[in-house]
Amino acid sequence: MNALLVLSIAGLAALFSGFSHNKKLAVIVSLLGLAVAFTVNVLDWNTAVRYYNDMIFVDNYAIAFTGVMALTMLLIVALFVDYKESVEVPNAEIFALLFFSLAGGVMLVSYSNLLMLFLGIEILSIPLYILAGSKRHTLTSNEAAIKYFLLGAFASAFLLFGIVLIYGVTASFHIETIAAYIKNANGQPPALLVAGMFMLIGGLGFKISAAPFHFWTPDVYQGSPTIVTTFMSTVVKTAGIAAFYRLFAYAFPAITAEWIPTISVLAALTMTVGNVTAVFQSSVKRMLAYSGIAHAGYLLIAFVSISSNPASSVLYYLIAYAVSTVCAFAVLMVIQHTTGSEEVDGFKGLSKRSPFLAFITTVAFISLAGIPPTAGFFAKFYLFSGAVKAGHLWLTIIAVLNSCIAIYYYFRVITAVYSEGTDSTPVELGTVQKAVMIITAVLAVALGLFPEMIISLL
Amino acid sequence: MNLSLLIIIPLAAAIAVLLSRNGQQVKWISFLASLAQLGLSLFLLSAFMGERANGNVSQMLFEQRYSWFAPLNIEYYIGVDGISISMILLTAFVVLAGVLMSWNVEKMTKEFYFLLLLLSLGAYGFFISLDLFTLFFFLEIAVIPKYLLIGIWGSGNKEYSANKLALMLMGGSALVLVGIFAIYFMSGIHSFDMVKLSQVHIAIEVQKIFFPMLFVGFGVFTAIFPFHTWVPDGHSSAPTAGSMFLAGISMKLGGYGCLRVATYLMPEAAKEYAPIIIILASIAILYGAFATMMQKDLKYINAYSSVSHCGFVLLGIGMLTKTSIEGAVMQMVSHGLMTALFFAVIGMIYERTHTRKVEELGGLLKIMPFVCSVLFIVGLCSLGLPGFSGFVAEMTVFMGSWQNPEMFYRVATIAACMSIVVTAVYILRAVGKTAMGPITNEHFLQLKDAAWNERLAAIVLLLGIVAIGIAPFWLSDLVSPGAELIVNKIAGVIIY
Repeated sequence: MNALLVLSIAGLAALFSGFSHNKKLAVIVSLLGLAVAFTVNVLDWNTAVRYYNDMIFVDNYAIAFTGVMALTMLLIVALFVDYKESVEVPNAEIFALLFFSLAGGVMLVSYSNLLMLFLGIEILSIPLYILAGSKRHTLTSNEAAIKYFLLGAFASAFLLFGIVLIYGVTASFHIETIAAYIKNANGQPPALLVAGMFMLIGGLGFKISAAPFHFWTPDVYQGSPTIVTTFMSTVVKTAGIAAFYRLFAYAFPAITAEWIPTISVLAALTMTVGNVTAVFQSSVKRMLAYSGIAHAGYLLIAFVSISSNPASSVLYYLIAYAVSTVCAFAVLMVIQHTTGSEEVDGFKGLSKRSPFLAFITTVAFISLAGIPPTAGFFAKFYLFSGAVKAGHLWLTIIAVLNSCIAIYYYFRVITAVYSEGTDSTPVELGTVQKAVMIITAVLAVALGLFPEMIISLL
Repeated sequence: MNLSLLIIIPLAAAIAVLLSRNGQQVKWISFLASLAQLGLSLFLLSAFMGERANGNVSQMLFEQRYSWFAPLNIEYYIGVDGISISMILLTAFVVLAGVLMSWNVEKMTKEFYFLLLLLSLGAYGFFISLDLFTLFFFLEIAVIPKYLLIGIWGSGNKEYSANKLALMLMGGSALVLVGIFAIYFMSGIHSFDMVKLSQVHIAIEVQKIFFPMLFVGFGVFTAIFPFHTWVPDGHSSAPTAGSMFLAGISMKLGGYGCLRVATYLMPEAAKEYAPIIIILASIAILYGAFATMMQKDLKYINAYSSVSHCGFVLLGIGMLTKTSIEGAVMQMVSHGLMTALFFAVIGMIYERTHTRKVEELGGLLKIMPFVCSVLFIVGLCSLGLPGFSGFVAEMTVFMGSWQNPEMFYRVATIAACMSIVVTAVYILRAVGKTAMGPITNEHFLQLKDAAWNERLAAIVLLLGIVAIGIAPFWLSDLVSPGAELIVNKIAGVIIY
């Protein structure tokens, strides 16, 4: 809860730091704000306090995910120090918007009332609509913003409708009251409640870009400035998945039979669509968008096997995914800056131009592909083991086959890195940029070797 | 002795290679590390035999066990028996030879040697793992270097081959992963510990579903028919050391997995599916042999003959007698050494003549006597001449197979035996055309014979081949307790 306050204040501070002539000030304020927010957040560990008439419940689940989001954003903001792509909006405003969005994310992982869920989603999304369009003179960026906004508003309507239907049946917005109501219904929940639940699935499915609600993702990811895309594919995804998981873990555990078949199909569809489509992309940014869809699909498996996949496996997966994605995007930004292209071909000859970057790229993509010794491997292993335990063998088989498809497109980038390129000018890297890459790459391997560090948390 | 050293040395060497300043340092670090590994493996062999001679009869020796991830009971659990030791020895020989054969790699030397060491790390780790998770972990670690070695340093249609190889092998390991999960959850003890798992009885229904997954999954690595198609493409595109590692080590990961994981943990299903395994293996043996006859490229010849030879491994496993399993392991070692040497020689020839086409080669014996003598020897070994390892291994497989009295097994054995004739045809034709006859190209006259590193590599591998060929008993003694265990397990659950 204190983290939410700190983030809001830091957002304002970042906004006003834009008046200063010192351009670095906004970055410093933001980094400080995030560090403080993270610390304050961690201090709440094991307290489990309810705020505002039980609108927000800051349990360890909320604290863990808030911490992940704050740290991920810290890494992304740090990338700004050396960020070269032209973002026409001043830095200070970007940071302020990111902070507000993150505040929405924090609400999403700590809500205990469906109204807070809705508010969180809106607070998370509205700054993103602006950020997506922040390259004002670029057609694709404008397209991204308007597409994201229209479809996002549409999804919000679904979400709201679902909430209202559930309220109509249970006379409560509170997730624990709803759960209690469902329990009393003895496995015979009213049809309206189930309908409301499916609307929620649709609305949240949009936010985490689950197929068939994923059509906005590639265009928005590609059109937005890369730094915003990084934020969307890590922090926003973490918030969305955590909110989704919280909903099912707290509100609907008693009627698993109603939603497990649907989510299973969603999961299978999402990972297959994501992976198969990613194979045909030539733009790495777009490919990462589809890979993000695919990872959302794997994560949905955790929902299906909620009985044997504890929150820790979702947490670990999201951390592994965030770390490798930030790493991959950090490299992509450098490539974009030096070659002006975000195509796979832009990676050609990278091993000559900078062996360091080549190595980092390899680690990032190997982790995304889920190959040991990286975190991506263990994340999948742990998640899939839960799915098998819960008896979802066929879903696991689909998932492992999908992982094989994924290897094809991730490895394509790695091959490009080590193949002959036309350009051989060495790449200059900023210190902070380099530090972010090293931190994420080291984390990707260290977490893979010592997964218990994270998994024992929740 | 501390078994973890087998992983630590390649790891340290790989890191040292990354930090080293120039190509010369890289090569020497890798060479010394692989020499040390060979020394260590030989020491391991003697220590193991010493322990056994002292009457230590526990199934696995030199065990080490640390908890890795407690919630799932994952352990870093390593240990060796005779079968693992023979595979470790094979790896050590091939790695040393592979490092020597790569002495002239100019392109990105550092990365090349780093990947070679990483691959060897994966293989050593795989062979000493007694925990299914650790085993899978190392199996996957060994795949990426293969992909990159072919994709970056390969020749011809290298990207296609690299992708095909990576996708098929990853597909195989996906099946293995599912199988491992099934064993973990359905064995009833929630453990990845192979020794413990081998002592519980997994329900026959579970075995029937998941044995094929595990066997085919590992089988892809060892070119089980019809999943052998990555072999010719992969080998022909790979750089010399890549082919050597691929055929010498990587394909053996599969065979070892089929034996140690699939057959050992699910013996009833192995018995159940044995006819299918035997049919697939016989097809691979015969099809591989006939396909080889049609090849014109030396690398393709050896690649297809590898499919054929690896069929003997699967045949030996499928026959499920003590002798045949012994033979399968011996065939793995023998084929590993032999095929690595074969690829090394092909590499030597190709580096000089810039062609691998048999018809463009000729009369090389006069120009490079050392290279061609090795080619002759390895060819003779491949067609199973007594005195070399190939004969011993294939003979053992056949003898083991013949012990199964039923008609079906006899027919399969005879069919497999027939392939030897075909092998003789293609080997003699290829080797004869390359080494003897008139010199087909004037340029060949200026070529030089093998350099010191190539000679050393060839001698290292030849030593292994001859050691098995002349004195096979040390190897079969090493392997037989492990094989006996598997057979006893089968005999314990199935009555003829």
